[in-house]
Amino acid sequence: MNTQEWALIIFTILTEMSVGSFLVLGVVHFFVERKAGLKEADRMSDRVLIAIVVTLGLGMLASLFHLGNPLNAYKAVTNVGQSWLSREILSGVIFTVLALVFVALQWFKIGSARLRDVIALVAAVVGVVFIYFQSRIYMLATQPSWNTPLTTITFYASTLLLGVLAIGAALVANCAVVQRKNPDCAETQSEMLRGAIRWIAIASIILVGIEIIVTPIYLAYLGTGSAATQATLAKMAGEYNLAFIFRMVLGFLGAVVLAAFLYQNTSGSGKKFLGSLAYGAFVLVLIAEVLARFVFYATHVGIGI
Amino acid sequence: MAKQLGFYFNSNICVGCKACQIACKDKNDLPVGVIWRRVVEYGGGSWIPRDGIMVPQGMFGYFLSISCNHCIEAPCVEVCPSGAMHKNEDGIVLVNKDNCIGCRYCEWACPYGAPQFNEEAGVMTKCNFCIDLLEQGQQPACVSSCPLRALEFGEIEELRAKYGTAVEIEPLPLAEITQPALVIGPHRHAQVTGTGTGRILNLEEEI
Repeated sequence: MNTQEWALIIFTILTEMSVGSFLVLGVVHFFVERKAGLKEADRMSDRVLIAIVVTLGLGMLASLFHLGNPLNAYKAVTNVGQSWLSREILSGVIFTVLALVFVALQWFKIGSARLRDVIALVAAVVGVVFIYFQSRIYMLATQPSWNTPLTTITFYASTLLLGVLAIGAALVANCAVVQRKNPDCAETQSEMLRGAIRWIAIASIILVGIEIIVTPIYLAYLGTGSAATQATLAKMAGEYNLAFIFRMVLGFLGAVVLAAFLYQNTSGSGKKFLGSLAYGAFVLVLIAEVLARFVFYATHVGIGI
Repeated sequence: MAKQLGFYFNSNICVGCKACQIACKDKNDLPVGVIWRRVVEYGGGSWIPRDGIMVPQGMFGYFLSISCNHCIEAPCVEVCPSGAMHKNEDGIVLVNKDNCIGCRYCEWACPYGAPQFNEEAGVMTKCNFCIDLLEQGQQPACVSSCPLRALEFGEIEELRAKYGTAVEIEPLPLAEITQPALVIGPHRHAQVTGTGTGRILNLEEEI
């Protein structure tokens, strides 16, 4: 593992988290608007949008540190006809631009709400395509430990899991700010927050469930495959077993145990508790996902010489 | 059909002296860690006790001298996001270092370890078939340096007509992945790709 691969870990994790958060926040906004009106929905999500574009910007920036010759980075979109990497960068840049335009319009309330909805929807679709392209990069005939549709499935699972828990933490933080600034809306915001957190907790448990189902399928794929996949499995069981175990344990603790408490808490009145749980679940899952991506890069074994 | 240069390597007479590897490093002035032509030692078998003494059991070993194979379906060219990796009119795979972004994606895509990263320049480098020597009517440095005359180069169709089409020799990958412009004269102990019982025996070296 070298620093260039750490750049890739940061890039993929932050961009996936941004796309996932953008999708999840869109869903939250949609339902809050139905229940409590556009104003309350905007109050809930506008600041969170800023956090998303900052995260996205940092993620895209991190990709430059992966390059030996970052001054040529703009040339990375030259081969879109053949290279999944070109497609990834092109779709990533389009997603970033659309997200920035949308957040600027939304923040300053420029244009109609419907127009902004359309831009956000287009950005969301590009974001989903972006993650697909990102996963296809790794599906090379020469890298059997990556060359499986499970790569795409795990990338999407990471995207959504990081998305729901990042939004959970961000909504809690935003709620505290909103209530301090406008005490009159405290009741509605709290109620909307509890409703959102309840669904976030459920989604988190389902998503980590997908990861828990995929993991043994992946291990079986490695174990029954070529000499190269067996070598990957040996690295996972040997050199990188601690990272692998911590990843599973932290993911389970964050996305299942804390999420279950979080769900329980939404019906109580302990608001402070809700905050610690939401932050805790997010941090544990973020560490778990970083470890998972670390193991993904560290254990690949190519075929040939 | 377009012209396609390739290499012929006779594994049966190679003694693993690595003169080709060093001639390549010297001619192309490669930094430590960048080795465009590599001599791979592949072998297997073991020693087993019999009647109180250790005797060899199925021991074998042979060398393969491998550079870039200037593949007909070169995955490095396909995956390169900037188009820096390209094939020229002689079928030689070259890096245009003015376009290379140094993402190292080609390194993952190549099963022969041909594209190698130059840390100092921040770009990928690889065997260029000694294109400058070819233009002067000379041979690539690896070919002219081999004391056993185990290396040849030429139009791949001509090499195949002369020496056959063997290329799927352990530890090399299946030919269908990249269609390498390479012909191997198999060693008498050569194992076919996928049926190997040995492993790569090279010790780690810092050259």
